[in-house]
Amino acid sequence: MNLEVYNPKSTVEVLDLLNKYKRDAKLIAGGTDLVLDLREKKIKPKAIIDISNLDELKYIKKDNNYIEIGASTTFTDIEKSEILTDNLKGLKKAAREVGSPQIRNRGTIGGNICNASPAADIVPPLLSLDATVVIKSKDNKREVSLEKIFLNKGKIDIKEDEMVLSVKFKNTKGKLGFYKLGLRKALAISKIATAIYIEKEDNICKEIRIGNGALGRHGLRERKVEDYLINKEINEAIIEASATLLSEEIEKRLKGRSSLEFKKEAVKGTFKKAFKDAL
Amino acid sequence: MIKEGIGLGTMFYGTGYGNGFPDVSKAEAVLRADGKVAVHTGATEVGQGAKTAMTQIACEVLGLKVNDIILISEDTSNMPDSGTAAASRQTYNTGNAVKKTCEDLREKIKEEAKLKLNLNTDVGLKLKDGYVYVETLPEKSIALKDLAKDKSLKIKGSFTAQTTEMDPETGQGAPYWPYTFGACAVKVSVDTLTGEVNVLKAVFTQDVGRAINPSLVEGQMDGGFSMALGYALLEDINVDNGKIKNDSFTNYLIPTSLDMIDIDNILIEDPENTAPYGAKGVGEPVMIPVTPAILNAIYDAVKVRITEIPVTPSRVLKELNKSKK
Repeated sequence: MNLEVYNPKSTVEVLDLLNKYKRDAKLIAGGTDLVLDLREKKIKPKAIIDISNLDELKYIKKDNNYIEIGASTTFTDIEKSEILTDNLKGLKKAAREVGSPQIRNRGTIGGNICNASPAADIVPPLLSLDATVVIKSKDNKREVSLEKIFLNKGKIDIKEDEMVLSVKFKNTKGKLGFYKLGLRKALAISKIATAIYIEKEDNICKEIRIGNGALGRHGLRERKVEDYLINKEINEAIIEASATLLSEEIEKRLKGRSSLEFKKEAVKGTFKKAFKDAL
Repeated sequence: MIKEGIGLGTMFYGTGYGNGFPDVSKAEAVLRADGKVAVHTGATEVGQGAKTAMTQIACEVLGLKVNDIILISEDTSNMPDSGTAAASRQTYNTGNAVKKTCEDLREKIKEEAKLKLNLNTDVGLKLKDGYVYVETLPEKSIALKDLAKDKSLKIKGSFTAQTTEMDPETGQGAPYWPYTFGACAVKVSVDTLTGEVNVLKAVFTQDVGRAINPSLVEGQMDGGFSMALGYALLEDINVDNGKIKNDSFTNYLIPTSLDMIDIDNILIEDPENTAPYGAKGVGEPVMIPVTPAILNAIYDAVKVRITEIPVTPSRVLKELNKSKK
């Protein structure tokens, strides 16, 4: 196998290479997913383009309107960021519960999205933040809602000559909660991950967005439950009723799966925990 | 809702092969020309501390420092067989062989010293720090290296454990010697919403006869606890139609350092009279009472008896739901 490895110095160079190699090229940032696929010969690219040293893709910045995170920003960077304030602790928590310290030091937010695993840990909180993905090719730049980018398990709507530059979301005052249910305390793949963003006024739910992971082919928003909760007063009975509604949704979605029995019960737990985390 | 519970597990366990199976360990001890003693024995180190324990036993018998014992093991061309590093038997069985062989070497050294020092008898001779001397007249002494200058002194020895076969008809008898005892108490929390079980606290006691090396015994206890924690809550090879599904550490989950807790380990020392300095085997025993303790604690927390391991969140929720109906 003839494999070229490139170390471009800028995204312009990266995009030129992508334009040249198209589907025969793979981008490597942290490599925590890609290297496994290479080892197991699941993929056989002709070129690997290393973007791990591109500082222009590593940042977390904030202005009055948006918070933007560069694609090569690692989970460790997110976990330790001072720009991400306390109301966004759900995002930091999701980053902190990824894999192990070694994986968090290498793995990136862009990689986690592009790998499109149903259990991608950073996706549910970003869905709850209604994040937008900034995508660039040699000649074009576009922005797509994260929710719309997933096509299937492992499949994402990014063309072969495109790369993710960043993820951004509105800089708002609401709170983001998160709960991951894994089988152990580290190095655990999510069984369920739930993220909930809430803005409230006088205990009335003015804005709510619920993102779930590992409960479908990819991360999903739970619109039905959101619609139910909007403009309602937040109390135990409402939380309980929402959890039941969510469980019914999951039951429909996972019908026929062996994991259904467990997940339709456990999701009530992750929902309640993430909800309380967001209050 | 988080519910807490406390559970206990107890056990007793036979050291060695047992049931009449020949359980033999051999050793050789050689006083070398440089005054150091080489101990050849097949006690394989698998992380349990066999090399440390054998060296300590030889040191104790011969009055030597650790650096003056050359332990030769895991080299089959240069050591006698001492059986497997299994059945929690090395410290007891091979420890006995090493002790006995070193004691015989000590007597031979005293005999040689009696001749070299022109003494009437070897009574009252002591070995310490590489010298043999008359206890009441320490200046009457000779260095071990001077004793071995012309010829090295060499002793072979062995130890065979007393084991008898059980009655094949009744299953009655005394298959092992000795037995060791242990008990473990744990406190767990069970999340009734997600089925997650957390081990919060543990007190663990192990009868060790006599700890040759207390730190190593505590290490064994930590290790046994961690294995049993994985056994209780995580580890599942998931056999489906004869095929192992969880065939890598990606899905065969063992505890990480974050899953492990600090344990309050308590060593019970009640020396066994057939054992080297009283020491019994603890390798396997330290795993045994922990899983039952965890399962009992889960029962105490949620009053539902879980009869299948590992106790995953999925099993917990399933059993909790069943009990509601």
